[in-house]
Amino acid sequence: MTGGDETAAASAGEGAPAFEMRGITKTFPGVTALADVGFACRAGEIHALCGENGAGKSTLIKILSGVYRADAGEIRLGGRPVRFDHPVEARDAGISVVHQELSLLPDRTVADNLFLGREPARFGVIDRGVMRRRAREALDDLFAEAIAPDALVRDLPLAQQQVVEIAKALAFEARIVVLDEPTAALEEHEVAAFKALVLRLRDRGVAVVYISHRMPEVFELADTITVLKDGRHVLTAPRGELDVGAVVRAMVGRALEDFFPPRAETVGEPVLSVAGGANDRIAGIDVAVRRGEIVGIAGLEGSGKAALGRALFGLEPFEAGTVRVGGRDVHPGSPRAAIAAGIGYLPEDRKAEGLALMQSVRDNCMLTMRAVAGLFGRPDAPQTRPAEVERMMRAVDIRAASPDQEVRLLSGGNQQKAIVARWFARDPEVLIFAEPTRGIDVNAKAAIYRLMRDYAAAGKGVVMISSDLPEIVGVSDRIVVMRAGTVVGELSGGAGEEDVMRLATGHTEVAA
Amino acid sequence: MTATVGSAAGAGRRLPRIPVPAALILGGVLAWAVTMVAAGQPGQISVDGFVSILQRATALGFVAIGQTFAILVGSIDLSVANLVSVAAVMASFIMQGDPAMIVPAVVAVLAIGAAVGLANGLIVTQLGVNPLIATLGTGLILQGVLSTSFQNFAGAVPEAFQVFAYGQIGPFPIGVLTMLGMAAVAGLTLKYTVFGARIYAVGGNRDGARLAGIKTTRVVIQAHMLCSLGAAMTGLYLASRLRSGAPWVGRDGVYDLESIAVVVIGGTILAGGRGGVAGTIAGVIVFAFIDAIFNTIGIDAYLKQVLRGAIIIAAVAAYAYRMKGHVA
Repeated sequence: MTGGDETAAASAGEGAPAFEMRGITKTFPGVTALADVGFACRAGEIHALCGENGAGKSTLIKILSGVYRADAGEIRLGGRPVRFDHPVEARDAGISVVHQELSLLPDRTVADNLFLGREPARFGVIDRGVMRRRAREALDDLFAEAIAPDALVRDLPLAQQQVVEIAKALAFEARIVVLDEPTAALEEHEVAAFKALVLRLRDRGVAVVYISHRMPEVFELADTITVLKDGRHVLTAPRGELDVGAVVRAMVGRALEDFFPPRAETVGEPVLSVAGGANDRIAGIDVAVRRGEIVGIAGLEGSGKAALGRALFGLEPFEAGTVRVGGRDVHPGSPRAAIAAGIGYLPEDRKAEGLALMQSVRDNCMLTMRAVAGLFGRPDAPQTRPAEVERMMRAVDIRAASPDQEVRLLSGGNQQKAIVARWFARDPEVLIFAEPTRGIDVNAKAAIYRLMRDYAAAGKGVVMISSDLPEIVGVSDRIVVMRAGTVVGELSGGAGEEDVMRLATGHTEVAA
Repeated sequence: MTATVGSAAGAGRRLPRIPVPAALILGGVLAWAVTMVAAGQPGQISVDGFVSILQRATALGFVAIGQTFAILVGSIDLSVANLVSVAAVMASFIMQGDPAMIVPAVVAVLAIGAAVGLANGLIVTQLGVNPLIATLGTGLILQGVLSTSFQNFAGAVPEAFQVFAYGQIGPFPIGVLTMLGMAAVAGLTLKYTVFGARIYAVGGNRDGARLAGIKTTRVVIQAHMLCSLGAAMTGLYLASRLRSGAPWVGRDGVYDLESIAVVVIGGTILAGGRGGVAGTIAGVIVFAFIDAIFNTIGIDAYLKQVLRGAIIIAAVAAYAYRMKGHVA
């Protein structure tokens, strides 16, 4: 258990660290999110924090920024131990986090947002002139001459909103800036400008923590790289001592064949086919899924892969093209129509779109059956009898105290299984899993993969939309890669992560 | 290629921004003028005619200005109608026709308003009760206490106090001027002060505001206090106009639902963080025009309710459509 000390040593190479976290441990009910993790960053250093989804990166950042309190371990700023009970305390100590979901007020101006909470004022009246001038300076400082202080944030493209968010962090005199997947939503031409901005932050002596899944970016920007896996510290080393392969191995770090179920041995005729599918967000979609097959849909954030799932299930329907399920033309214009056509969908955001958190496991499992029961269907119809619900729970291995337990009390993995159970009961021809393992722990992940594989093996089609590259590569029989709203290529299941990345980014020098 | 990345959608598709308050008032004026001409009373279209319409709008105006603050901050207040009754009764009960008691009565009524707002704010922020329920509860308590203590008109206001409702400066009634003055102060406060910026910040994104170091609970409580002060002003105005206060004046005016309706018609979104007082005043004036139109053509009061209902729905549907236009 020396992870903490090693990190400290590795990062203390030149100059004292701007911050240092030692022996950080954090558990949530049912999950150990972090175990004895150490992490540090010097002023004027870009320190990349890498790891798969669920590795503990965001928990670590939330502890650093005062959102969570660690169960054990200490944080030091400039050598002094500190304790944050509230995010405002962390911010006042010079720590700013720029989240993927921006925290700006869309209906207020850029200047309003930059000075939110500390507007320059005289006798309570905001001094617009001063505020505008200082906003202008802050933006110019970031080479953001194109952004007007009086513009409404809502009207700015996402890339500019991100710049505003960073300007806001700097306006609070942040000495430590955490960038959480900052380029995920940016378009390619915006990324280059953004990288220049990050380097400029470093040159101004800011300690930059850079979280990204994009290896080329990490290797271009980072001075030091730290890898977390399953809530543990794996390695910290200067960029020069590492290559992409080493980092990816450290991130995945386990025998893949134990983790992912075997691939399909035989596949049948197509069960789902889309030809020329298009709507506002996606175009030219040609995809086929055969019986017995898991097709992975890969792509960066904003590539249209999420929109494809939503279109198939009728949430944001196709406006052109044809969809066939089991040989019949279908028109999934709404979720109800999609279900009737034999399509099921596990949403990306389980809690918001999937579960009634305050209701029982039983009610959550029964939802799809009740949706199709007649208005006068008896509530004690066979499918809702206790024995039947328990059989469903056993089939997907939900670990709950009883069918009457509230779903919100279950772990993420068991919550996801409740949604799986709901769809297994409905038995659709095609089942779409959107980000099936986001935020759930490693063992539950493996269980979800097995359930997906079993479902496909029963002669159904499975579509897995995922941002998690190891899972795309490890689980899929075929991989469809999307970029800029359309399908840009197809790979076989054994393809490497770099192959997928190359198609997804359109870059050719990815492996470098 | 269709734009696929969320970022592209923001700027391009926005509909032209017509200032909603102006459009509402203009529409109201037009409908009114057409009706008056059609009804053979073009003489009504005058400054005096318009002023009399503003006079109808005054009582609702005060309470709606307050409600705007509650809704902007992301809360809501259903207790205002009952607080209006309490304020009207207390004003006339304390004054008892004695001019010397005007100042103590006004101070007492405003203090009651502030106290009710404080209570609402504390219940919402400290006990975590949903504002709809919290203010429904305080409203019932207020009405219960009032109705057990007073069954009819209680006391009377002295003539000096009736100036509030009946006095004029030039062609303009003092009540109307007071209401518009309060609206102006409220509007300027929202637009130009730190306090206003905090109201919008808390209503727009409470967590974001908290992370920016704003004391969000305090802002919510302050907004509730302003809301209740608006209701207290309406109570004072009604006491002046009716020459006494009765425990049913607030309920009869449906000030709870109507104040919410005009705020929403004015373009303030119920979720908070967007809108303002100008829209609210426009909404109040539109309601007053509807009253005037229906009184002129002598249509059933219940049909008037139907039209009001339709206008509320149409207004909010229009805003929803507009939002979708540039969110998609």
